[in-house]
Amino acid sequence: MVIDWTTHRKWVLASAGGVVIAAVAYVPHALSVRAKPFGGTAMGIVYGAAGLALMIFAGLLGAREKVPAWRVGRMQTWMRAHLWLGLLSFPIILFHAAFSFGHGLTWWLMVLFTGVTASGILGTMLQQYLPRMMTRQVPLETTFEQIDNVREQLVLEAGELVAAACAPPKAAPAAKTEAAAGAAVAMTAAPVAASESAARLQSWWESIIRVYLEHSTHLREGSVKRREVQHALRQLRTLLPPAMHDTVDSLEDICGEAGQLRKQVILHYTLHGWLMVHIPLSYALLALSAVHAVMALRY
Amino acid sequence: MGVEQKEGQPAVGAHPEHAPAQWGTSLGYGEPIEPDELLKIPIFEGASKGLLEKNRGAVVRRHFKQGEMLCREGEFGSTAFYILEGNVEVFISSPIAHVSTDNRSGGFFRKLKSRLVGRAQDLRGETESQRFIPIDAPVDLAYDHPSAELGPGDLFGEMTCMNFYPRSASVSATSDCVVLEMLRNIVDILLKNPKFRAQADEKYRRRALEEHLRSVPLFAEIGAREQTQEAAAFLERLRERVELVRFNPGQVICKQGDPADSFYLVRIGFVKVSESHPGGELVLAYLSRGNYFGEIGLMGGGVRTATCTALDHVEVVRIKADEFKVMLEHFPHVRRRLEAGVRERQEQNRNALDMVTSVPLEDFLAQGLMGAQSLLVLDLRRCTRCDLCVRACADSHDGITRLVREGLRFEEQLVATSCRQCRDPLCMIGCPVGSIRRRNSLEIIIEDWCIGCGLCAKGCPYGNINLHPVGGDQPAEGGRPPMSSAAAKKAGVKLKAITCDLCTGLDEPSCVYACPHDAAHRVEPRGFFARLHEEQGRGE
Repeated sequence: MVIDWTTHRKWVLASAGGVVIAAVAYVPHALSVRAKPFGGTAMGIVYGAAGLALMIFAGLLGAREKVPAWRVGRMQTWMRAHLWLGLLSFPIILFHAAFSFGHGLTWWLMVLFTGVTASGILGTMLQQYLPRMMTRQVPLETTFEQIDNVREQLVLEAGELVAAACAPPKAAPAAKTEAAAGAAVAMTAAPVAASESAARLQSWWESIIRVYLEHSTHLREGSVKRREVQHALRQLRTLLPPAMHDTVDSLEDICGEAGQLRKQVILHYTLHGWLMVHIPLSYALLALSAVHAVMALRY
Repeated sequence: MGVEQKEGQPAVGAHPEHAPAQWGTSLGYGEPIEPDELLKIPIFEGASKGLLEKNRGAVVRRHFKQGEMLCREGEFGSTAFYILEGNVEVFISSPIAHVSTDNRSGGFFRKLKSRLVGRAQDLRGETESQRFIPIDAPVDLAYDHPSAELGPGDLFGEMTCMNFYPRSASVSATSDCVVLEMLRNIVDILLKNPKFRAQADEKYRRRALEEHLRSVPLFAEIGAREQTQEAAAFLERLRERVELVRFNPGQVICKQGDPADSFYLVRIGFVKVSESHPGGELVLAYLSRGNYFGEIGLMGGGVRTATCTALDHVEVVRIKADEFKVMLEHFPHVRRRLEAGVRERQEQNRNALDMVTSVPLEDFLAQGLMGAQSLLVLDLRRCTRCDLCVRACADSHDGITRLVREGLRFEEQLVATSCRQCRDPLCMIGCPVGSIRRRNSLEIIIEDWCIGCGLCAKGCPYGNINLHPVGGDQPAEGGRPPMSSAAAKKAGVKLKAITCDLCTGLDEPSCVYACPHDAAHRVEPRGFFARLHEEQGRGE
């Protein structure tokens, strides 16, 4: 979610207010405790309960997204609440833990919590720039789930272009006069050269261009083969006769489009990849927090 | 389209070995008929024998047993039928109901539910209570009982044959019958034959005019409210004086600036109404059977304010200015309705013109967005492509999304595929039963008698009309069961055209409501893009 002052002002101020209140309350609490303050004190439990409540609320966003059509508050409100209340929970929990990672379960909890918060901040930062970057760098963007279909269509389209360019020329009509027969003999060299060019194009299509198009959206192979295909297209333009340059241009366009698909895949994974860390860590954090709360209150 | 018939060749489809490659673009199997035999049939009287010779095989005689189907609604075809013997039932087997989405559960878990409902249960805004469904036959079907009988001497399927539209209704034989099935070249010969035209005109005046007038809401009241001698006399007078006029595709029916001398009712085909401006043509409306035009000129300054052009083979009923004036004098409520209609149309036209002239966005115009009333715009700077908008739309409409996150881009705004309520509604062209129309707010509305042929979905340049499967053999809630005829028994899953309904009944469209990134917005295009343009100007 793009964070701008206009729409996030209230949330920023509310969260900052929450931090200030928690900090102001923490100072006399810290001074009143003889030894180092810890989560087991009354104030510490209040911080812990508040922090856990905020974490649980932040976690509810996942459930909310499963039922997007439910009228339980606009999704963007939920998202803002997730961002800012989730962030607010971090200092609250720090106050609860008296700025200590502790050991054993609490250490793991703090590590997980730091991971969740950091991955969330990373995701939010990525969302500030990547959508804009994708819009600019991938003008031919398509629906992500359709990328493989579009790529297959590009392979077909390019294959048809190559087949059309490599098709043997139509047989010349039989020469009726001597002069025409002479001209026909003189022109036999042209079809030979054309067939050589067609064979070259066909060969490079099979070995380089098609392979690239078929693998263009694969993250590793696509990158290597992209350089190969760029080189191949440059060479083809030198080696093939001008009559076939239109085909090479079209192939270049198609490869360019495939390149955009690859870029879209990369940006898409980057834009959503952090969730692969954020979500499992969040589940683990909530589960362990529940265990921690039960153990702390019971024992 | 159609079958290319070369001189001297046998009838296509006349023998099994000449089986048509694709049903619907050629004649069915039947007996070939010799031109001499054709000339003995009343509608061919006076036709050129030479022309019939040249088109030998473009008409066949077909025999149908009682209960057999002659054609089915929604199927594409290219032939017209003329009944020689026996009777047929013409009917619509699709449930006469529309897909309605509403929220029954209420509360937090409000979710839209799609169901079929009839007009009685769900009277949508500005529904004019049209009592007749226009079809491609000499009769219209009643909304309450969409079935009629045709007999010897009736010609039907003319519009399908001439314009290659889908069949508007199903036809089954109610007794053993014999029909002529003919291709367009034969219908062309008929239409050029003055005797046939005179017969058709006479038959229309005698049998269909009154029904046609009553099927037009404007005139319905003449018969319904005023069963007086005066009304009867007026209709009788009109019967004698109206003219049936045919126009070919592209032919101008009346031109902007010309003197207004007639009022027109569309009987067959589609008419484009447009205004000429220095910058080009502005389409104001597409009119189909049951619509009328020419009243603004007659009631205003006596000059045509727009150009009306036939989009396909059009037949209109022309009422001369004198008769029109008599009607206005004798029937004040018709005058009042017409005056209200004129004001409404003029307002719409002014709005359309205002939109074009007040926003200087060339790209916007070029992309056709200017024609939209309401757009779903995705701010691509904010959109993370999470597709929650699409999922929310599907969740709201029984799993069938009406939104695809693709479409035209304007700078960093994506105009998603969702109904734009265009000012140039190409989807309205060709509906064989005239079931797609617009409200005064210019939103598209699909009437109950949609037969699910899908022509509007094909016609929409933005792919914004979808077909929603509905159980054809189940009675619609609030509607009626399908007709008790052979086709209805065979009816399985039927289709109904649907468009984005802006989640009517909910405070905000689900797609916008479900966007977590504040990227999806329903916008009024003129204001939105003007603001965007200003922001860009300031940025530069």
